[in-house]
Amino acid sequence: MSEPEVATPLRERTGHALRDPFLQQALTIATTRFIDLRREAFGDFPDGESLRDRARAIKEATLQRLDHHVERLVASVESRGGHVHYAVTAEEARAIVLDIARRSGARLAVKSKSMATEEIHLNEALATAGVTPVETDLGEYIIQLAHERPSHIIAPAIHKTRGQVAELFERELKRPAAPDPEALTAIAREELRRRFLDADLGITGANFAVAETGTVVLVTNEGNGRMVTSLPRVHVALMGVEKVIPSMSDLMVFLAVLARSATGQKLSVYTSLVSGPRRGGELEGPEEFHLVLLDNGRIAQIAGSLREALACLRCGACLNVCPVYRQIGGHAYGYTYPGPIGILLTAMLNGPRSVKDLAHASSLCGACADACPVRIDIPRMLIELRREVDERRIAPRGERAAFRALARLLVRPAWYRLTARVARVLQAPFVRGRTIRRVPFDLGEWTRTRDLPAVAPRTFQERWAALEREGR
Amino acid sequence: MATKAEFLGRIRAEMARTPGLFTVAAAPWPARPGERLALLRRELAERWPATLERFARELERVGGVFHRVASPGEVAGLVADLARAGAMERVVAWAPGALGLDLAGPLAARGLSAVAMPEGDVAASERTRLREVAAVADLGVTGVDLAIAETGTLVVVSGAGRPRSTSLLPPCHVAVLDREALVESLEQAGLVLEAWHDGEAGPAGGASINFITGPSRTADIELTLTRGVHGPKELHAVFVEQGLARPRHG
Ligand code: SF4
Repeated sequence: MSEPEVATPLRERTGHALRDPFLQQALTIATTRFIDLRREAFGDFPDGESLRDRARAIKEATLQRLDHHVERLVASVESRGGHVHYAVTAEEARAIVLDIARRSGARLAVKSKSMATEEIHLNEALATAGVTPVETDLGEYIIQLAHERPSHIIAPAIHKTRGQVAELFERELKRPAAPDPEALTAIAREELRRRFLDADLGITGANFAVAETGTVVLVTNEGNGRMVTSLPRVHVALMGVEKVIPSMSDLMVFLAVLARSATGQKLSVYTSLVSGPRRGGELEGPEEFHLVLLDNGRIAQIAGSLREALACLRCGACLNVCPVYRQIGGHAYGYTYPGPIGILLTAMLNGPRSVKDLAHASSLCGACADACPVRIDIPRMLIELRREVDERRIAPRGERAAFRALARLLVRPAWYRLTARVARVLQAPFVRGRTIRRVPFDLGEWTRTRDLPAVAPRTFQERWAALEREGR
Repeated sequence: MATKAEFLGRIRAEMARTPGLFTVAAAPWPARPGERLALLRRELAERWPATLERFARELERVGGVFHRVASPGEVAGLVADLARAGAMERVVAWAPGALGLDLAGPLAARGLSAVAMPEGDVAASERTRLREVAAVADLGVTGVDLAIAETGTLVVVSGAGRPRSTSLLPPCHVAVLDREALVESLEQAGLVLEAWHDGEAGPAGGASINFITGPSRTADIELTLTRGVHGPKELHAVFVEQGLARPRHG
């Protein structure tokens, strides 16, 4: 179990988000923009659909022989002079990175955006061990200065206004900052440039790792991934073990769908392919290269119910189209990975208990599965997860009782008809037009923010029966 | 901390629990990339003008600037013009052998301070010094190992005489290419990378390959597109019609 239970309940977290007018506006603008960009990108890309199929097939085939591909990756990285480490848990992963940091005498670590390092809460561990971690992706840098967590996988600071960023820079960096994105970006460039050159340790995740060539692949738009893998003396890449892919040709398939899905670009600005440490004759590049392979609940899903989620590229497309995410944003989910896929990943990393509420934070509309470049059937797994949550009896008691009662009714037509008739009588005092605005007692939660349709004066079954009688 | 054997053992144990799942064959290894590449090169040689046109169009779409000169001798003049236009003085460049072109002399003659990077192994202290030179430079000139028309991408391989920093630290990056570098698609680029790995003469023995598609950018503050956050703000590609004097490679 890698993450602590979230202290505030989901209801409170979403309430918070829903009452924040700026967040609401920012979320709408950002997600709408991302959706449009993605649609345009795939719109004039005739090969898009077949490449998505291909990408999924590669992931599937790789997973089916994961042992083979991991073994191959390890051999290639080692033949390039790199070191490979194996972490079963988040604790182990942290210990491995800390050990590398200690042995290299590192004081300052620069990081390129990596969900895997967020997942294991590496920054806190580094700081405790006396190593200052500096996030270098602009969005992550802002979030780090503000002591917050990312709200979107692709745009971590979308919940902040330029004014808030300017204030933050003035307070934390002790220098004047105009509320203008261009000027603020220039400040970050200057502040971080020195850090890149001074850092002893570069820490990254990996978007992919090519087994055949021993290559870790990083995709960024800003260039920080290149800095982090080129300038510090030691480079550590931490990656979920499922990120391995067989060949360079496979990589090209993923590159063609990844940026289009994430930001609507044909390709992100920089795709960096790093194979081991600096080689003879090179002026720059790390003296040491370490690859940390992370399990943390992934391996158990190779044969588990969340297996499909192992194909995720972390592109964020499913967040942008999710009607729930669009309302509540990333923070309300409470864990490292937000959005529909985030619920599944949270269950994978922390067990199903951790998502007993979150599993319901989806309308099961299917938009996520449509948007996903590797066609992960997120709704199907969410339904399974709900069932699992229910079977383990970790769902709220009232809810379980209600569904049990419903289940009995549904298999007994006579009782069901009777209940409809009884309900019609009982509902009478509450019906306004054709809806019930408010249900009394504890059940009132249901109608606090929505109306309940009233039981019709004549049910469909009754009308059908009447029609049949007339027909005869 | 797990050992390799333990880790693989965990994976195999899970795989064994669901034998029914594991029937699909793994993705096939691409066979004989070298031979397929030779074939492709012959085709590309016939189609290059269209490929170049598409490359130029896509490069400009992502915010790069395309230039075309007839001979290698004209590159220095173009670089000097770009430098003057942007009030830039300090230039760093790949080693003449890696670039296929000696720029330091001609640029100095045009009043710029130009440093060409050394090609051989150098001492650690010298490496640090050269990195600082690149860090304060205004403009970096590199070669191009592949130019992908489909996406307007420049592929740059690190190695002796071709430091990673030249295309990264200065705010302006000028990349010089010729016909040899052009490919049409990402798929073809993948084939080339495989051929290099398979032993086909690659451009360099470095550990880093970068795909560069436009100037460095971010939209992290209110989704406002801003250029030059960590990498270069300006990106120029210079196509040399007569070709560069670099050693031919796969
Ligand atoms: S589940 Fe699919 S859409 Fe969502 S982040 Fe992963 S790859 Fe992207």
